[in-house]
Amino acid sequence: MDFQLTDEQKDIQKAAKEFAQGEFDPDLALELDQAGKFPESIWKKAAQLGFVGIHYPEEIGGQGLSLFETLLIIEAFCTVDSGIGSALSTVDLGSEVILKFGSNEQKEQFLTPLTKGERRLGIAFAESEDSGDLTVISTTAERKVDGNYIIHGKKSYVINASLADFFVTLCKEPKEGWITLIVEREKEGIEVHPVDKMGLRMIPFGDLLFKKVSVPLGNRIGREGEGLTHVDHCYQARALKSVAQALGTAQGAFDRALQHAKQREQFGRKLSQFQAIRHKLADMAASIEVARCLAYKCAAGFGQGNGDRNFLAVTQLEVGRRLVAIVDEALQIFGGYGYMAEQAIEHYYRDAWAIGVELGTEEEQKDAIAEIILGSDLAKK
Amino acid sequence: MFFELNDEQKEFQKRVRKIYEREVSPLVDEYERKEAFPVQLYPILGAEHLLCLRCPTEYGGPGLDKISECITVEELNRICVGIGASIMVQGGLATDPILHFGSEELKLKYLSPAVRGEKIGAFALTEPNAGSDASGIRTTAVKQGKGYRINGTKTFITNGTICDFVTVAAYTDPSKRGTGVNLFVVEREDPGFSVIKTLKKLGNHSSDTAELAFDDCYVPKERMLGEQEGGGLEQLERTLKSGRLTYGARSTGVGQAAFEATLSYIKSTKRDGQLLARSQAVRFIMAEMAMYLEAMRYMTYRGAWLFDRGLASMKDASIVKLFCSESVQSIVQKATTIQKNAGQRMDNPIQRFLRDGRLSKIPEGTSEIQHLVIAGGLGL
Repeated sequence: MDFQLTDEQKDIQKAAKEFAQGEFDPDLALELDQAGKFPESIWKKAAQLGFVGIHYPEEIGGQGLSLFETLLIIEAFCTVDSGIGSALSTVDLGSEVILKFGSNEQKEQFLTPLTKGERRLGIAFAESEDSGDLTVISTTAERKVDGNYIIHGKKSYVINASLADFFVTLCKEPKEGWITLIVEREKEGIEVHPVDKMGLRMIPFGDLLFKKVSVPLGNRIGREGEGLTHVDHCYQARALKSVAQALGTAQGAFDRALQHAKQREQFGRKLSQFQAIRHKLADMAASIEVARCLAYKCAAGFGQGNGDRNFLAVTQLEVGRRLVAIVDEALQIFGGYGYMAEQAIEHYYRDAWAIGVELGTEEEQKDAIAEIILGSDLAKK
Repeated sequence: MFFELNDEQKEFQKRVRKIYEREVSPLVDEYERKEAFPVQLYPILGAEHLLCLRCPTEYGGPGLDKISECITVEELNRICVGIGASIMVQGGLATDPILHFGSEELKLKYLSPAVRGEKIGAFALTEPNAGSDASGIRTTAVKQGKGYRINGTKTFITNGTICDFVTVAAYTDPSKRGTGVNLFVVEREDPGFSVIKTLKKLGNHSSDTAELAFDDCYVPKERMLGEQEGGGLEQLERTLKSGRLTYGARSTGVGQAAFEATLSYIKSTKRDGQLLARSQAVRFIMAEMAMYLEAMRYMTYRGAWLFDRGLASMKDASIVKLFCSESVQSIVQKATTIQKNAGQRMDNPIQRFLRDGRLSKIPEGTSEIQHLVIAGGLGL
């Protein structure tokens, strides 16, 4: 076993951290968060420097690395700012489907512009805010004699709803079954209804309505009937990215609390001189180490193409439960200041909740793990 | 031992719930969005005798006890913690020290209009560099002629921009750390008093929180609470004790709100084909929430009962505050998690309960300070 990052990986990590420290201005982060605006200019720069799609093949604008390196970048970005970092991490959601199942033409047409910072991608799978069960979706794509699909339906709580230029959209074709189609947001018949939410406010969420939206056959990814496989693949990558966001967010919260504890004086002493505060910080540091070990092991497996689903669920469970606890404790170390929006820790707290939701609830992960270790023999009351 | 509210208290609880649901509930969404306090509530709650609950009848107050106050606090915070913050300060930190240590003249001048909701009070102790360590404040009140000149900056002040008067802590003798402090009543119109800025917060959006400046702010010596210089922090002892019990009721109120919202959500939401209320994991979570709420309520009302009899120690009050403000975290966090994405929407009150409930661990002594006080109370 080798528990070291390679020199190349360390360089990538360092470059990402330096870029973020140089570009993620704290005042700008506060402003964008409050206004609910996407960090446009930072995104363009990040893409120009190669931080988007580093794991895509070189022929289509990537650098031929693995998803692991992308996760290192996400972690570094979120350490510097959970809001900007997360916004930059989600501009190519759905790219995994095109990478694995798409044609060469599709990769060139849809993925290359992502790497240049010209286009953004999103996913439109779920139809209710609550259920992860996609087999009950009702969005249809009917294939007409001219070869075009006509989409009808509604997608819920879509990330990048008003921002993405294209969505990888899960639909049901009456004869072909589950399919995924790449749909342009500007197409006639698409309506976006924005959703105002507590955390990750730089990423616009919303509901998407499809009314008689026509999509050419060339925008179908892979083969007919494969749709749920595409979604499954995408969700795994998404979960890994959420783990990386969580790790960075926890680290960023910890870094800030540590800094504050070393500077802030009460009762004539630095906070960092009080045993109770020292132990809190020690606990947080230990918890982040555990989370990082899990996350890197998990990510390394998926990066090398032999991901372990059970271990992914374990990682989501453990990283998720640590995330909120660490950020909550960091906020507490700030005391009254932690509750004020002027301190970044305030939006870290809200962002941690939003990332936590992406990681799934404890109950969901325990269900998944239990199913693997016990089988699906669950008594339904 | 008697562990139930009596009939009169139960009637009172019903009455205040009805009033808050009628007068406060319709304002919540709008003022949370505006991040401002609905000042029109003051005369309305004044007319209903729901301001400064413990203020004696001779100053126009309802003259009720701590238990009654906790009933109102729990009910109001069940509807809105932000609005509850302002009302809590009015009946607590802003007016309590005036009641206990102010001259007859000050009581008539400030308490009577506060009770009627004609004047809004604030309380200013915390400073940018002095939070948990109140004795570290740097604001000074220097004697000059027939009054004092106050200089300093105060922060995190509830009602800061909307107040008519503010009870301010300042050193009359900075050489006596901790003991050389006095409390003064400063009026909004006093020259030298100004609002530096309003502060945006994680939660309590409908409460007004500000940073205040006192720049050569002159007040006549009659506005000092108490006759002698010094001892101002000690004057706060009883008010802080009372406030920590109030925080028990505040936490219970928002916990109750989160519990009720979750109960209705799980009874009406299916996940993977099954009603959430049927999931054993969810039922366990609900059982735990109910358990915490019961314990929080018992502790709060027992604390209030002791307080009314003059038996509550600071340790008792800190135990109530610590337990309730920590327990409510578990309730609002679980409640938010259960709703997944739906719980993140700003139009869903569950995320407000989370943000609002998070406050409890910070003001009027952080959880860490409560630990210190309790340990001290154990003779350690």
